[in-house]
Amino acid sequence: MRLEGRSLFPWIAGAAILCSLGWALNRGQLPPADFTFVNGTEVKSLDPAIVTGQPENRMINALFEGLTSWNPKTLKPEPGAAERWDVSDDLLTYTFHLRQDAKWSDGSPVTAHDFIYSMRRFLDPRTAAEYSYQAWYVKNAKKYSGGGRAVRPGDNVEVELNVDPDAPNTIRGKLVHGKLVRIEDKSGKELAGEELDNAAANADLNIEDWVFVISTEAGEERFRYADDAAAASNEPAQGERHARQILLDLHDVGMRAVDDHTIEFTLENPTPYFLTLLGFYPLFPVQQKCVETFGSPQWTDVENIVCNGPFKPQFRHLRDRTRVVKNEHYWDRDNVKLNSVDFLAVESSTTALNLYLTGQVDWIYDVPASALRTLLAEEPSRDDINPVPLLNTYFYLLNVTRKPFDDVRVRKALSMAIDREELTGVLLGAGERPTYSLVPPGLPGYDPPQGPHENVKEAQRLLAEAGYPEGRGFPTIEILHNTHEGHHAIAQLIRKQWQKNLGINVRTRNEEWATFNASQRQLNYDISRRGWIGDYADPNTFLDMFVTGGENNCTGWGNAEYDKLIAAAAVETDSAKRLDLLHQAETILMDEMPIIPFYNYVSKNMVKPTIRGFYNNIQDTHPLSALWIDAAEETPNPFMEGRE
Amino acid sequence: MIAFIIKRFFWLLVTMWAVFTVSFILMRSVPGGPFDGDRQVAPEIKRNMERRYNLDKELHEQYFIELRRTFLEGDLGYCMKLTDRSVNYVIAQGLPISAALGVLALAFAMTFGLLTGVVSAARRGSVLDVGLRLVATIGIALPSFVVASICIMLFVFMIPLFPAAGWGSASQLVLPAFCLGAPYAAEVARISRTSLLDALSQDYIRTARAKGLSKSRVILVHALRNSLLPVVSFLGPAVAGILTGSLVVETVFAIPGLGIYFVKAAELRDFTLAMGVVLLYTLILYTMNFLVDLSYAYLDPRVELE
Repeated sequence: MRLEGRSLFPWIAGAAILCSLGWALNRGQLPPADFTFVNGTEVKSLDPAIVTGQPENRMINALFEGLTSWNPKTLKPEPGAAERWDVSDDLLTYTFHLRQDAKWSDGSPVTAHDFIYSMRRFLDPRTAAEYSYQAWYVKNAKKYSGGGRAVRPGDNVEVELNVDPDAPNTIRGKLVHGKLVRIEDKSGKELAGEELDNAAANADLNIEDWVFVISTEAGEERFRYADDAAAASNEPAQGERHARQILLDLHDVGMRAVDDHTIEFTLENPTPYFLTLLGFYPLFPVQQKCVETFGSPQWTDVENIVCNGPFKPQFRHLRDRTRVVKNEHYWDRDNVKLNSVDFLAVESSTTALNLYLTGQVDWIYDVPASALRTLLAEEPSRDDINPVPLLNTYFYLLNVTRKPFDDVRVRKALSMAIDREELTGVLLGAGERPTYSLVPPGLPGYDPPQGPHENVKEAQRLLAEAGYPEGRGFPTIEILHNTHEGHHAIAQLIRKQWQKNLGINVRTRNEEWATFNASQRQLNYDISRRGWIGDYADPNTFLDMFVTGGENNCTGWGNAEYDKLIAAAAVETDSAKRLDLLHQAETILMDEMPIIPFYNYVSKNMVKPTIRGFYNNIQDTHPLSALWIDAAEETPNPFMEGRE
Repeated sequence: MIAFIIKRFFWLLVTMWAVFTVSFILMRSVPGGPFDGDRQVAPEIKRNMERRYNLDKELHEQYFIELRRTFLEGDLGYCMKLTDRSVNYVIAQGLPISAALGVLALAFAMTFGLLTGVVSAARRGSVLDVGLRLVATIGIALPSFVVASICIMLFVFMIPLFPAAGWGSASQLVLPAFCLGAPYAAEVARISRTSLLDALSQDYIRTARAKGLSKSRVILVHALRNSLLPVVSFLGPAVAGILTGSLVVETVFAIPGLGIYFVKAAELRDFTLAMGVVLLYTLILYTMNFLVDLSYAYLDPRVELE
């Protein structure tokens, strides 16, 4: 026995090594795709409605197409699945005419009903779409996506009844329509007015405690939220019915399919960027049949998925590569030049750079800061890198609910005591530009108001005026940032500058991402690092963040005049006036300084010189459908425009 | 023997349960949840995101739901970040890759480590011995990202022998297997040298030499066999670590293995995935230690299993 066991060992080891080799090589060598690029982390999902993030953006944009699509150069909305549209004079009604030849990847036509289905699904709270607010510009859409929390007595509502718990989870329950009479809380008390609003806004509310009294065809009925599993196994309480959820009646939401190829949207307010938003990936359509047949998330499996964009997925190797191939049913297939594209899931930007430099990928979107400086300094200058400013701002939040940040003089002094040139020129060095406003420059028709520039003398005077001459008596303040080398280096530099210029004590604290976000939200910080990426090319995406109590405000700052201006801008139909209102609002923001803007990010793309159709733009968006390869490099490369 | 196996299996279950419980409590007691991003989510939508993972329920309810699903159904649930993939799928995709790379790294580590260990012991005190020991010490001391960076500089950029990163071809395996195996090779060399020297000073070795056996036969057959025990006991936990992948090597060489999740899942508060990899590691570590105990009985007749 002993000897046998021992003599077996080399065989086992040998077999293990062979198996490993076999496994390691079984994916084999694929023929390379026409175009290969590094897409960052593995995408969370292929479902347009529920994803967020840049890698997902690039993936969804390749697979699906919205009513409009963005011009690869200017990012202006152009006809996508819709071939044209009409806008009413009050800018509130948009009518889209779909192209007759728009097809799904299974060959069936893309219709208006697909879009209505997808929009409804996107807004449905059960879909749990993090980005659903991107569609709240549609009339009553916000209310619809608030579910039972958002409906109020007198509203027309739809009650979604429970379904068999074993049915695909994407099937909707039967609907009962009616009018909401009243809402009763746990104790049976009727909730109304402000009390109801407060109860509904409470994040800890358990909505199953509520009874919704609704007058339906069958008379007045009482509904209570129940999970499908609970509804299937338990009888409802006496005189009540189970409901999967209760929503505003869809008929009251401003969207409808006029016919198979016409969609009409009614908006809450004139929204000048609505057409742009429709080209933003969360609002892309999905096919009802596919989603309902397979359920979620199985419908996104490569063998199940049906999409309507320029490409369709061929295989997905988790955290390795996803290959997409040209969608032969795409209406504009003749203008899609790439037959296959590989998305590499590579998390490390250094690894990505290695892959690029050894010729294994054609595009990387991020270069480590240290390498970037070397690459930019190369002589003769490289023909594949050209950083340009982006619609992103790096800034610090000041917690105005804490002393000494409640004093505007202190906030201004802190901002004026910073040498941004040292930050961008010496520390960052990729061509980032110092900024004194929240909204980045470069938006048409908007010249952001400037906050105070560097002025150490004035900063010291302001600090003295606030009661801290030469920093005496100033408490030790703390800069919070999420764990990241780059943020740490910036925080150290700012700390040094403040200590030198103002004579105050500063320390830094880092927290990893999830904790950091929680701290920010709970105002558990003095000063906190933040970056904001514009969702759409309009100042509003930056400015509406700082309304009083705004979800992403996170400073405790509020100003009634500011709120009024933002609200007024939202309903203003005249574009110039609107931008002027936003300008006034930002002037207040920069005067009150609950935030200290530092710099605007720059893009860090490296693109093979043979690639064409790749343009620099402020949102760093580069649709793959526009790319083509000019192997002989006979045409000028628009990507390199503006760099010597 | 059978009783031994049954007993160990029972303790495996207890260990898994304990690890599950501690992880569950630790994960839920750190600030920030899986759905706290830098942008606030509307309450009704957040509730539905949490509902999918039962996070809207009371903690003790969550605990029992998870416990039952994990241990009775063997289903680790859906990832909270890679939302369309189940933890079982992620492990099924990543583990074979990490394990394949691990086995190759281990083969390299064993071959190289034992070889140098034996040479060092046989030529004790020579320049060769000192040199090899120096290399081994450096191999243990250098963090793997340094080794990986040096390898990439040397063999990808200066002498373009191997691709920079990726998975799928034999040439892509060489550098990561080397970087992953290097510290283990060094460790094996150090341990085998020490224990071989120890064995060589025993009386039975002198007897064997006195009998007229050749030096190589004495070392390779008589001494080596008896000096393997410490190497084997080092290998148990090492195999568990090497099979489940390495964060650094997998990140640097963009290998789609499991290693990265051990850190990322916790960082991103992906409760289900973090639980999955922790339990997997527990299982493998426990199994390897069990196998080591079994192999003792084979290698050394004096060891009795009880």
